Amino acid sequence: MFKKVLIANRGEIALRVIRSCRERGLRTVAVHSEIDADALHTRLADEAICIGPAEAARSYLHIPAIIAAAEITGADAVHPGYGFLSENPEFAETCAQCGLVFIGPLPEQMRQWGDKVRARKLAKSLGLPILEGTELLTDVDDAVRKAEALGFPVLLKASGGGGGRGMQVLRSAEEVQASFETARAECTAAFGNGALYFERFLDRPRHIEFQILGDQLGNIQVLGERECSIQRRHQKLLEEAPSVALSDEQRKDMSETIRRAMTEAGYLSAGTLEFLLDERGELTFLEMNPRIQVEHPVTELIMGVDLVAEQIRIAEGEALEVPDPPLLPRGHAIECRINAEDPDTFAPSPGVITEFHMAGGTGVRVDSGVYGGGRVPPHYDPLIAKLIVHAPTRARAIAKMRRALSETIIGGIRTNIPLHQRILGHPAFEQGRISTGFLDDLQG
Amino acid sequence: MKVDLEQLRELIRLLDEANLTEIEVEHDDDRIRVRRDPAAIMQVATQSVAGDSGAPSAEAAAADEPGEYVTSPFVGTFYRAPTPAGDPFVEVGDEIVVGQVLCIVEAMKLMNEIEAETAGTVVEVLVENGKPVEYGDRLFRIEAT
Repeated sequence: MFKKVLIANRGEIALRVIRSCRERGLRTVAVHSEIDADALHTRLADEAICIGPAEAARSYLHIPAIIAAAEITGADAVHPGYGFLSENPEFAETCAQCGLVFIGPLPEQMRQWGDKVRARKLAKSLGLPILEGTELLTDVDDAVRKAEALGFPVLLKASGGGGGRGMQVLRSAEEVQASFETARAECTAAFGNGALYFERFLDRPRHIEFQILGDQLGNIQVLGERECSIQRRHQKLLEEAPSVALSDEQRKDMSETIRRAMTEAGYLSAGTLEFLLDERGELTFLEMNPRIQVEHPVTELIMGVDLVAEQIRIAEGEALEVPDPPLLPRGHAIECRINAEDPDTFAPSPGVITEFHMAGGTGVRVDSGVYGGGRVPPHYDPLIAKLIVHAPTRARAIAKMRRALSETIIGGIRTNIPLHQRILGHPAFEQGRISTGFLDDLQG
Repeated sequence: MKVDLEQLRELIRLLDEANLTEIEVEHDDDRIRVRRDPAAIMQVATQSVAGDSGAPSAEAAAADEPGEYVTSPFVGTFYRAPTPAGDPFVEVGDEIVVGQVLCIVEAMKLMNEIEAETAGTVVEVLVENGKPVEYGDRLFRIEAT
């Protein structure tokens, strides 16, 4: 059993981890930048240590400061949350060298899954269906040949990219010739890695991901899927579980395929396998996220699990309790990411929150890192709260979410609540006819 | 200093209206700072820049004394001497020069020597030997020469 857990993050996810720790009787250490001295995670943790200035590179991303904070507080484990250092294998290794347990996958697993081309190969070798694609492209001529062999349109992707950055749809050999060198230069600048490859381009696919947990004894549990097709520029905005697009049989088959694959891979801790669902109803592996994800609460609500508590239990060496037959989803859950941003222009809207009233009532959950009178600093992610609802059916979950959004009052800054209301009130959304192109269509 | 209550009320009203968290007004040697805690608790701190005659309140104790502060550039453990049995790098009253080692902050088993950035006299050592320090914590007060 751990005694004290340091949370190397801020905002709602830091609070989320504090909550699971507290319920398990573990003491918590928050680390914070100077500007977050009054942030909620700083105030609610048992101890708080200032690790640097507002700039993330010198605070939340600064490994020596975080390790030193763990040392002076006597923490025995570190939870990285998502973003920041959560997928940094050097951080996980440094923790281990300093006698701290990193609550997450093994460093080598982060490396394997973090490199997209390596991840595709690994997924294929483990028997997961992957989208047709190419090896790394050596030069522009090679790129043209490979694109023609794959068939246009193709999607140009960066092996080291993420969050949709560096992706381009190319529809002809001429477009490949015109874009290849620039794309390579851009990716080298952005990711320090100019490695590019092609994938078959899917027009308006659905984004569906499966949640898994793996323990140190080699057990893997698959906890169903989430649908995250409502995205803007590859940033998820609204997620739900289960997906209306999967049949019970397809869910069961894919869960079993994943369970076998990840058992063979020996995966540890929480992870998410992202898939695209094409117009033919076929799921193909996209990438694997070796961490807890923002949208994990929808899975928690329909499966009745505490994923962060499970991560901690696994890191302590305990075995997963995998029920037989496996857990089945109960009801329907939806999450809206409330961002401090303009609902039309998406411009960030930092500042002091003058009024803050989040919705309540049956089936409503709020995961937030802010409070009335608190400040949203301009230095970090605009996510200020996650509103999550759970109801027996999808239609009732939509009605509940619309009700919950209507009673949420956030003053002093702009939020994307009006956009969420528009999405939820759209007939296509109500009918479950959604894809990753939904938001572009909505905004015309 | 004498507190002008009317002026103070005006500042508080301004703070509220403009939705600010802090206003600081400096006039001659007097300085008034009105700060609103994000928890919406009003806190009022007044102080005189050139030394205070009154008994220090809890707020005033944390306020600036004359001189310059050496702050910790990182999180770690503060050591006044190079070895556990050694003499401290500096004592109160010592004259120091730019670049002189004042203390060690240990982080990740690395002993980081903290050097003086200004010349002057050490007037206060603010942290006890062997205690943990956070980023930005005040370590020494120096009176510049």
